[in-house]
Amino acid sequence: MSKLSHSELIHLMVQLGVMLAFGRIMAEVARKFKQPAVVGEIIAGLILGPTILGTLSPDIFDILFPKTGASAVVLDGFTKVAVVMLLFIAGLEVDLRIVFQQGKQAVFSSLFGLIIPFGLGFVIPYYFPGFFGNNGNGDHLLFALFMGTAMAISALPVIVRIMMDLKLFRTKIGMLVVASAMVDDLIGWMIFSIILGMIGKGGHIAVGYTLLLTIGFAAFMLTIGRGLLNRLLPWVNKKLAWPGGLLSLSLALCFLAAAYTEYIGIHAVFGAFIIGIALGDSEHMSERAKEIVHQFINNIFAPLFFVAIGLKVNFLLNFNLWLTLLIIFIAFAGKIIGSGLGTRLGGFTWRESLAAGFGMNARGAMEIILGIVALENGLINEVIFVSLVIMALVTSMTSGPLMKWMLGNTEISKK
Amino acid sequence: MIRTIGLAIAFSPTAERMLTEAAAIAQQFNARLVLIHVGEHGEKEDLMLDLLLKNRNLSKDSVTIRWEKGEAARSILNACAREKVDLLIAGALKKENLLQYYLGTIARHIMRRAKCSVLLLTQPSLDPEGFKNVVVNAEDNIGAEEAVSLACQFSKKDGGTWVHVLRELKMYGLAMSASSQSSEDEYEKIRQGLIKDEVEKVERLVQKISHENLRINIKVVSGKSGFELAQFARRKQADLLVVEAPPRRFWFLDRVFTHDHEYIFADLPSSLLIVQSRREEDNV
Repeated sequence: MSKLSHSELIHLMVQLGVMLAFGRIMAEVARKFKQPAVVGEIIAGLILGPTILGTLSPDIFDILFPKTGASAVVLDGFTKVAVVMLLFIAGLEVDLRIVFQQGKQAVFSSLFGLIIPFGLGFVIPYYFPGFFGNNGNGDHLLFALFMGTAMAISALPVIVRIMMDLKLFRTKIGMLVVASAMVDDLIGWMIFSIILGMIGKGGHIAVGYTLLLTIGFAAFMLTIGRGLLNRLLPWVNKKLAWPGGLLSLSLALCFLAAAYTEYIGIHAVFGAFIIGIALGDSEHMSERAKEIVHQFINNIFAPLFFVAIGLKVNFLLNFNLWLTLLIIFIAFAGKIIGSGLGTRLGGFTWRESLAAGFGMNARGAMEIILGIVALENGLINEVIFVSLVIMALVTSMTSGPLMKWMLGNTEISKK
Repeated sequence: MIRTIGLAIAFSPTAERMLTEAAAIAQQFNARLVLIHVGEHGEKEDLMLDLLLKNRNLSKDSVTIRWEKGEAARSILNACAREKVDLLIAGALKKENLLQYYLGTIARHIMRRAKCSVLLLTQPSLDPEGFKNVVVNAEDNIGAEEAVSLACQFSKKDGGTWVHVLRELKMYGLAMSASSQSSEDEYEKIRQGLIKDEVEKVERLVQKISHENLRINIKVVSGKSGFELAQFARRKQADLLVVEAPPRRFWFLDRVFTHDHEYIFADLPSSLLIVQSRREEDNV
């Protein structure tokens, strides 16, 4: 079994230490400005990566983060594991009963918040492909489908934090926004997995079969698999050490599901996401256990992943102002019109509905994960990826203030 | 306000106990008692009912008797609608087998479909001791006040000592993870704040309700609603669990994707009172 040499191990440890420490410093700076940690972590990656350090001092950058060699491979492995775990906790966050409880209001809000941004995100790149430059594999349909999906998803943790800061979390509108974001994420990731299946990167399996296996896996895990897990967890909680047994088993299932979806030709993240939903939906997966999983992943693996984003791409070289502005415009227009209209149809006032639209507009970490997976699979190029990351940051940073501005001193439905 | 109480009665071994419990509750609330029987009606049934009433020292004039035919749950509920029943009492098994659970038994059909409040007694007694340890769920819904009020009334009238008012802290794990970029003090403050907000909401609700001589215990729980409620009732060895009726009628899929009240319906932790706050509107 090959292993890291003494110097490579030291190299890897230094890389991880620098990424975590600098990521934390920048996350703290972001926190001072009341911004999500992901903003600081991405900026840390920009500073440590080719954008700044690589431009100012290429030698130091190459020594610290070489593009080849064992430490580079292991670091890439770390970030791959991190993104799988991030989607696992994204799945854990989906609470289907909250969606059930919101009833038809959640249906209107989530469907309009999904269809209109998806439509805008699809139509513009499909009919004006030239403006978006050469995307990865040159397939306009897949590219347009991806852009639609990228506009449709949202960032649940950012939205929850905004709702909490505005003291809207447990209000009627707060619950509606959270439930709608859950539905949009669930459907959005399913569409994305189908797009990945259509690329046909699992060369050993036919595309049609990949799609069938993908849908079959999701359907099985959300029904029978979910029921089986629900029967397994009481035994795990009772017989195994807590929370150690539960955490080990949950992550083991997460990695196995990730391996399965990677094997069938979509991406590992989809398996992790679906298993996260199935586990999180069990009444035996306690909130305390979920909190532990969240803390462990959000504070160790998430910073590694988001700092690594900045290490992979030169944001200055790949920055296109007009493309970025267009993507930001589509993102704002799609979500605000879609979610706003859906919420209005659900019976809220225009002001509340637009506020819900601003809330749902936060894309955050999910957009960046979606973008990096698309980049790695050749769906988009680095220029579009940079624009998507900037859009994710801008929407996350503006969502709270815009929502607050829209609501003003209005007496909202706090029931 | 409970003015009319219905009792779904079958000539089973528990019939006398059910009648005793229903008569005691009707007396407590000074309510009219309607006995509803679905099935054959002949001389034999008349005699059996007379005997039941005689055994419990009830005269035939003190109760209204409805003999119904047809599908049991539907006939009982139709009779309730005609008699303007405010509270329907029925017996129920604590837990049913898997097939019964998915197909639904009479008691489960009643509690899922009733338009009036329903009291399901799991262990009716010939010597009712009343409800002395009551757990009630108080959320933000319209019927929460009525549910807590009824819980207090049931408890108070029986000289009960404890009413545990339970409130769910929704998405606690998600809320705390979204707060993970806070200092230790801030994190703790957010945690305490979330709990305090919920406790204050329940306190405001309880203040509106008469609860003299009752010890009220306010408890905030996180987890799956319904499931945590049932677990809490079990831990406290409650003799009555009071919940609001679900806002919509549950059907088969709600049993497959179990949520909210279905957790309670699947395995009753105690006797169950489902408070239907739409009753007044339905009568208009």
